[in-house]
Amino acid sequence: MSTYLTLALRYLNGRKLRTSLTTLAIVFGVLLIFGMNTVMPAFIGAFQANALAMAGQVDATITSKSGEAFPESVAETVAAVAGVRVVSGTLERGIGLPADFFDQDPATADRLTAVTLVGAVPDTIRSIASFNVLQGRFLEAGDGAVAVITESLADEAGLQLGDTLSLPTPIGLTDLTIVGLLPQRLLPGNEEVLVTLSEAQRLFNVPGQINVVDANFDTANEAARAQIEADIAAAVGGSFTIGVLQPGAEILTNIGTAQRIFTLLGALGLLMGGFIIFNTFRTIVAERRHDIGMLRAIGASRGTITGLILIEGLIQGVVGTAAGLVLGYGMGWLALAAVSQIGRQLLNIQVGAPVVTPGLVVLSVTVGVGVTLLAGLLPARAASRVTPLEALRPSIGALAWRRIAGLSFWAGVVLLAGAAAALVTGNAGLLALGSFLFIGGLILIAPALVNPIAGLFSRVLALAFARDGTAQLAEGNLSRQPTRAAVTSATTMIALAILVMAAGLITSLAITFTEMLENSLSSDYLLVPPTVAVWGVNTGASPTLAEDLRAVDGVDVVSSLRFAGTQINDVAVGLLGIEPQAYTQTSGLAFVEGDPETAFREIESGRGLIINGVLQASAGVKMGDDVTLLTPTGTVTYKVVGIASDYLNAKTTTGYLSQANIAADFGRAEDVFYQINLKPGADRAAVEAAFKQALQPYPQFKLVSGQEYVDQNRGIFDAAFAGIYAMVIFLAIPSLIAMINTLAIGVIERTREIGMLRAVGAARSQVQTVILAEALILAAIGTAFGLLTGLYLGYMATSAFAALGFPVTYAFPGQAMVVAVAVGLLFGAFAAIIPARQAARLDIIQALRYE
Amino acid sequence: MSLIQTENLAKVYGTGDTAVTALSQVNLKVDAGEFVAVMGPSGCGKSTLMHLLGGLDRPTQGRVMIDGHDLGDLPDQALTALRRRKIGFIFQFFNLIPVLNATENAALPLLLDGRPKAEAHRQAQAWLAKVGLGDRQHHRPDQLSGGQQQRVAIARALVAEPALVLCDEPTGNLDSRSSDEIAGVLRQAANEWGRAVVMVTHDPRIAAYADRIVFLKDGLVTDETVLDPQKSGNSALIETRMKAMA
Amino acid sequence: MGGEQNWDIKPAQVYTTLGRLEEAGLVAEEPVEAPAGPDKRVYTITAPGRASLNEWLGTGVEREHSRDEFFIKLMLALLTGQPSPQRLIQTQRAALYRDLHAVTAQRNVADPKRELAKILLLDKAGMHLEADLRWLDMVEARLDEVRRQPLPEPEARPRGRPRKSAEMIGS
Repeated sequence: MSTYLTLALRYLNGRKLRTSLTTLAIVFGVLLIFGMNTVMPAFIGAFQANALAMAGQVDATITSKSGEAFPESVAETVAAVAGVRVVSGTLERGIGLPADFFDQDPATADRLTAVTLVGAVPDTIRSIASFNVLQGRFLEAGDGAVAVITESLADEAGLQLGDTLSLPTPIGLTDLTIVGLLPQRLLPGNEEVLVTLSEAQRLFNVPGQINVVDANFDTANEAARAQIEADIAAAVGGSFTIGVLQPGAEILTNIGTAQRIFTLLGALGLLMGGFIIFNTFRTIVAERRHDIGMLRAIGASRGTITGLILIEGLIQGVVGTAAGLVLGYGMGWLALAAVSQIGRQLLNIQVGAPVVTPGLVVLSVTVGVGVTLLAGLLPARAASRVTPLEALRPSIGALAWRRIAGLSFWAGVVLLAGAAAALVTGNAGLLALGSFLFIGGLILIAPALVNPIAGLFSRVLALAFARDGTAQLAEGNLSRQPTRAAVTSATTMIALAILVMAAGLITSLAITFTEMLENSLSSDYLLVPPTVAVWGVNTGASPTLAEDLRAVDGVDVVSSLRFAGTQINDVAVGLLGIEPQAYTQTSGLAFVEGDPETAFREIESGRGLIINGVLQASAGVKMGDDVTLLTPTGTVTYKVVGIASDYLNAKTTTGYLSQANIAADFGRAEDVFYQINLKPGADRAAVEAAFKQALQPYPQFKLVSGQEYVDQNRGIFDAAFAGIYAMVIFLAIPSLIAMINTLAIGVIERTREIGMLRAVGAARSQVQTVILAEALILAAIGTAFGLLTGLYLGYMATSAFAALGFPVTYAFPGQAMVVAVAVGLLFGAFAAIIPARQAARLDIIQALRYE
Repeated sequence: MSLIQTENLAKVYGTGDTAVTALSQVNLKVDAGEFVAVMGPSGCGKSTLMHLLGGLDRPTQGRVMIDGHDLGDLPDQALTALRRRKIGFIFQFFNLIPVLNATENAALPLLLDGRPKAEAHRQAQAWLAKVGLGDRQHHRPDQLSGGQQQRVAIARALVAEPALVLCDEPTGNLDSRSSDEIAGVLRQAANEWGRAVVMVTHDPRIAAYADRIVFLKDGLVTDETVLDPQKSGNSALIETRMKAMA
Repeated sequence: MGGEQNWDIKPAQVYTTLGRLEEAGLVAEEPVEAPAGPDKRVYTITAPGRASLNEWLGTGVEREHSRDEFFIKLMLALLTGQPSPQRLIQTQRAALYRDLHAVTAQRNVADPKRELAKILLLDKAGMHLEADLRWLDMVEARLDEVRRQPLPEPEARPRGRPRKSAEMIGS
């Protein structure tokens, strides 16, 4: 074994550049898969951090599946269950803090972006958890605007015992006197502000309501505890869950989608890495035919030869994967660092370090090393078929690749048919599968298409610049080895396919979203809470704010959104209460199904619900269905009257209903987002001053002008565009390596022929032209296939997004196609430089003697 | 029984009208310690004979016996093992692994046979010393001259103590001085170290080093000449020849 | 120096030769008082003698190529078929190879530091043998062709036997 290892290492070492470039492909694939999958859990973790706060300290926590508040009587129901020793009903709400709330300094990053306000009955909460008061006192029954906070929060806010803590609440900025300090918080999650239950109910405007019941049991016996949990579940009913609050559950669905997209990109990267490895090993086998034949002659078995090549693959796979893991972690860390700023400001979450699970490591290693080995297997087997006679045979001939042209052609046709069928079904999963079928199919039928395509392009080339027959020579060289040519073109194909796909998808999304953006956010002003689109963690304002705004002179319409959480078919859903009249004037929904007028009328007249596409896809609900929504206390049935989306909520599972209904069924009267239109000719400066005045008690809202907000969002899109194009270029580099490889094999295999050409009078430049023409033909084939594949993949991806509920329609990426053609051909020419120089530099005598 | 023995060995390439007889009815015996040269015009079948003797190719008819083993009876695995232990190969193009040094190249057959590395290297170095490369043990092939590379190949062929050494135009790529040296080492391998050495060459000068020459023409053995050095009167014969030429 | 064969000579031959050289006026006997010693004479080269020597040294040595014993055997074999020309070639080749083998063996035991002259002579022999062997191969390859052509007929000799000047030592 050590002999093989030595040999493999020496061979790899002998071609450092090629080895590192080849390994880079694997690094890249693993990096994407591993890196992205460590980032997403970190996000999810950040979202769940708040919820973790109380977990683990008590035996059971009972919350509503909808995440909403429920009557205090539920606590009594729980207390009545046999085996429950003590219960405590609390009202806990996250309060998102506006930027620079405590430090007033935009330069330094805020460490606190949210606190959790916990309203509790002092005696009962002390019976369930211990509170070690360091200074002052704990809460007492009958306390009003007083709070107990941790030392760390006090330090952060620069407050001391007896000082006043101001917090934004739905009823406006509220002052609480600090009466006690608790030890520094150790668990992850938000800092807590403890107030009495009645005070909390007052601040959140939900009298008689709680949203968490904590319970401790009187037994430590696991079986008995499980029984008690079951009994509690039975007692409170199906709309409750034994577990923690899940604010922002609806965005987790969205993160999952992103994770899948990045994993798909990583898989494509690895697929390409596999190709490159495959191609490289073909080069290796061709180059070392003599060595291999000699080894066979002096007694190496077929297995030994296979092993030798595979060990080389293994080394590259292991090194590449290891580097990919390290870089992936680094990239994850960097991405999180970059995002955490946005995360804090936009989503009001604290993003931690990348999350590495053993399962992910195992998966990444398996995939990274597996792909390398798999890619090396075919060339290794070809190597093992090299007979000992090869060592004795003087000339370097073409490697005999088993021709299964007929079979593979038809297999390719079958795969392509499968891909087409997947397109017809419109099912997102099948579409993703279809993309792989499509690529695989093209690769299989490619060898059969190389000859006609090469012929076509060579004629074009001959017209263009290679008049002295060099184009024909290049064409002949390719036609001689259609499989090799196909494999090389395939790498270009994949790189360009990704480019065209990305362009197609982005163009489609951009067009649709821009439309929606204009439509949804066309109002003159917006009041934006800290966390847009994750409404559940926002602290809104009571209806009085809207009244105040309407009272401002020059204001025409004020439309607000009210939020409540719920579940439909076990899918977490964010409900938005709207007033259709005002809403349609300031904003709008893009309808996919249903008539806007009827739909808006129906949500006001009865229990009608407009759902967005994401919800439609993930909950499996159709237009006209009756759906059961989980309310804090039970369930209620709504009818789906339309399928439509707005810009802000297009990515999350969302339903729209009337504000009357959200108040009646979910007890919500809190506005979380406002859109305001002015009367024609209104004095903007005066209006803005009046708004600022009205917003004084509500620092949680930021006033932005509609146009400003639209521009901001456009900027995000442009950044995403640039990022994806950068990634595509990164993907294209390995493709370049693969092309250089193939052309290099061509030169090695034809050394003698090139020497002969030179001997009979071909100039160096003519030899270079042959190689260049060959590269250009290869690139042209790859580009042609790449455009085809990219169009399919782009259409597939767009359909997949549509299937997932994003309101997109496919847009043809004309500009990107032009770019792709240019990039493909330029790369082809660029890839030819090294081998062409190599060929031209060949010494005639040496080349002719080359045996 | 001789170390190598062929019985009515024949090889036909292709079938029907396109069939080409490369070798027919070859009966050849080579003993241990014997140095046999195979000569003949190109296309006479000498390479084919080598391939058959080395078990690299299978005969159409007849048998090849090496040290009592009938190569025709052996499956690929066993044939590979036999090549590893009983046969050493020397090629025209040296065929050294470029990334390994002289010792590592020479030790390859032992390593392939699963011997411990230290032992394999020790033996390889011993053989390198015997072929006159004691001071070049850690040189890479590209740091050695053609003649030196071929000596490494000879050390590699001999390291596993094979009974038979097969050489295919071993001096075809060398200048005449190196050729003489290589032929001398091969002669030594036979006469001093007791191997049976069979060498294909088209160079009469190199063939003259052998103990016996087998002439092939159109796949048939046309002649066999024993060049016995001990033959009495040989030196007298040389003298007369030299007088005639002087 | 070099092969003994080139320098080995009998005393009688020396005197006969010297006598002939004196007759031709190429050397002259020195008048020497020789009371002591047995019959000792001293010769000096004359001016014509030196001229003749210089001429000999200054002339290229011609080789005899067209007369060849094996060739005659081969022609006879072609004419009579007894023995077969192939057989004849094989026998000749075997003989040449044995020679070459022996020459090679001798050459390889010669010490290049002391016996370079001998090695050079042996190389000459070896190269001639190689050339002869190659020629044999060629003859063998074209045997059928030559068989189909008319054999050279001995011509009638109107004049005397043509002579070639080859009055040299060891010829």
